[in-house]
Amino acid sequence: MSGVEDTLREIRERAEKALEKKAPLGPDVDLTRFYECSPQERLGSLEEIAAQLREAALYAGVEFEAPGAGTYLQVDRSAVYERVIKPFEGKLEIMTVRRALELYPELVTQYWWKLVPVDADKYAAFTELCFTEGYFIRVFAHQKVEIPLQACLLVSERSRVQSVHNLVILEEGAEANIVTGCASVRGVDEGVHIGVSEFYLDRNARLTFTMVHNWGERFHVRPRTAVHMEEGSFYSSTYVLLKPIASLQTFPQALLNGRDANAQFQSIIFAKGDSVIDIGSTVVLREQGCRGNSISRVCAIENAAVYTRGRLIAYHNDTQAHLECKGILFSPQAKIISIPELEVHGAPQARLSHEAAVGPLEEETINYLRARGLSKEEALSLLTRGFLNVDIPGIPLALKRYIEEIVAMTSRDVL
Amino acid sequence: MLKVEKLHVAVGEHLVLQGVDLEIHDGEVHVLLGPNGVGKTTLLMAIMGVPGYEVVSGKILFQGEDLVPLSMEERAKRGIGMAFQKMPPVRGISLQTMGEIILKTHGHDGTVHLEEEAERLNCSYLLPREIGIGFSGGEAKRAELLQLLWQRPLFSMVDEPESGVDLDNITLVGKALRELFEREQVRTKKRSGLVITHTGYILEYLNADRGHVLMEGRIVCSGNPRDLFEDIRVKGYGECLRCER
Repeated sequence: MSGVEDTLREIRERAEKALEKKAPLGPDVDLTRFYECSPQERLGSLEEIAAQLREAALYAGVEFEAPGAGTYLQVDRSAVYERVIKPFEGKLEIMTVRRALELYPELVTQYWWKLVPVDADKYAAFTELCFTEGYFIRVFAHQKVEIPLQACLLVSERSRVQSVHNLVILEEGAEANIVTGCASVRGVDEGVHIGVSEFYLDRNARLTFTMVHNWGERFHVRPRTAVHMEEGSFYSSTYVLLKPIASLQTFPQALLNGRDANAQFQSIIFAKGDSVIDIGSTVVLREQGCRGNSISRVCAIENAAVYTRGRLIAYHNDTQAHLECKGILFSPQAKIISIPELEVHGAPQARLSHEAAVGPLEEETINYLRARGLSKEEALSLLTRGFLNVDIPGIPLALKRYIEEIVAMTSRDVL
Repeated sequence: MLKVEKLHVAVGEHLVLQGVDLEIHDGEVHVLLGPNGVGKTTLLMAIMGVPGYEVVSGKILFQGEDLVPLSMEERAKRGIGMAFQKMPPVRGISLQTMGEIILKTHGHDGTVHLEEEAERLNCSYLLPREIGIGFSGGEAKRAELLQLLWQRPLFSMVDEPESGVDLDNITLVGKALRELFEREQVRTKKRSGLVITHTGYILEYLNADRGHVLMEGRIVCSGNPRDLFEDIRVKGYGECLRCER
């Protein structure tokens, strides 16, 4: 046990030193004004969730009426519900990360803060020092969980911080789809959400991870995600943000440490209002046969500013990865800044590429649709929808439909 | 059905059409001939109401109503349709989705069958594809005509249906045009059209009623389309300016 305690103490000390360390990217958020309060009581069943929480969850892609294989629900600073449905018992476990660390103390030395450095910036440090739960999901070796696992992180109190630390482990040959919905309930328009997520994919594991955010207009959101990938593993991440937000900054990393690992990132961003969004992904290709892809589709409207970043780093000759950023500007004040970085270290045969295009929707295309009888607004809405509907490989059909629906809803609303 | 009177159309600073007169009656199909760059496409675009083709003076009357103040979509809803010469890439929208939208917009849900029409034009395999992305010349033409077949306009304009189409596909394109104007069927509604052609191949399939030669911004000659074509083939377009048919 002393190993675990020493590790935890060392983590804490590092966090304390980094508590004021600004992140290199994104607007700085003052965290000193947030305070903690007492944990909430646990729910016995989902029936007890207030209608407004249910609604918030739904807008973030999590439907409690049709529960997934496993469900984790956290409201504010406490987990209120975690359950695995019967057919999947023994195939996976889902619980609060606090309980997981109590049950399996070895997680601390093997996985806890091993991918995301606790002193990376003040947000990571804050999460350690003001830890407000998070989910632990482990899918056992060779178990294939076809039905999505749902994790929902809700904020129901105004002007608070939610700082969660999630840990996901897919053992050898395991497969899972995780849908994470993060949202604030209607009327809670201000707050901070920090989510540290560390994912471990063992050999030949496959994880499809979808995160839908639906925050109030004055929310600051700082996800900190890293994925460790062993030989033959596959990771597909889709991030969807369609509502205005004060600021979002995230730069998740996939570390392809085993041969033939494959990582795919997709971001679908509809930036409105005064949103400042700084989003990217890093793919580190260390071994033979590693492949990566990072695609972003961004629409910026009103005064929104979006930075889309991509970093591909190759260390082996037989690696290949591609970055793609496409953006549409809908107003003269909106900004899209695309920043690609390709790095090759001692692997002259590695193939890294990037492609970026920012501009308006083509007048010719709009007119083409109008000639078929669509109004200009209908044409714009349809084209926006088409633009944002990225073909996401490996994503479950229900999820694809869901994303299409929210994209359709958003593109109708705003134009 | 359509009457164009003394139409002057500018594209940017350039006055392309300088007094076009044209009348197409119910059930008639006319072809428009002329050398490159004389404004054939401009005339179609102006009738459709595409922004950038500014009517400086003159009238475009459709079933007695002046089209000039109407937007493109209003013209489309009144029964004017167009197959463009060049299909633009429409990212994220499949031909199938477009079909569903057209049927809904024009109230043909249930009466026009999306898949059947596609099958007839050998376009079934194109339905899931994004419009205009990676389409060959023939595919683009067929997909353009397919959209008109879904739309079933009273007045269809087709801009060079045979350009970039190989001989195998010409038959399909011809068949689509015939169907569009319902030349072989008896229907209560008489559909009309205006087709731009360069090669005259399409006349084999399209029993056009009248042909016009557009040159120097106006129609310089009109007559039986086959005769016109034969004359042009032998004497060239230069003769059209001298001829007073």
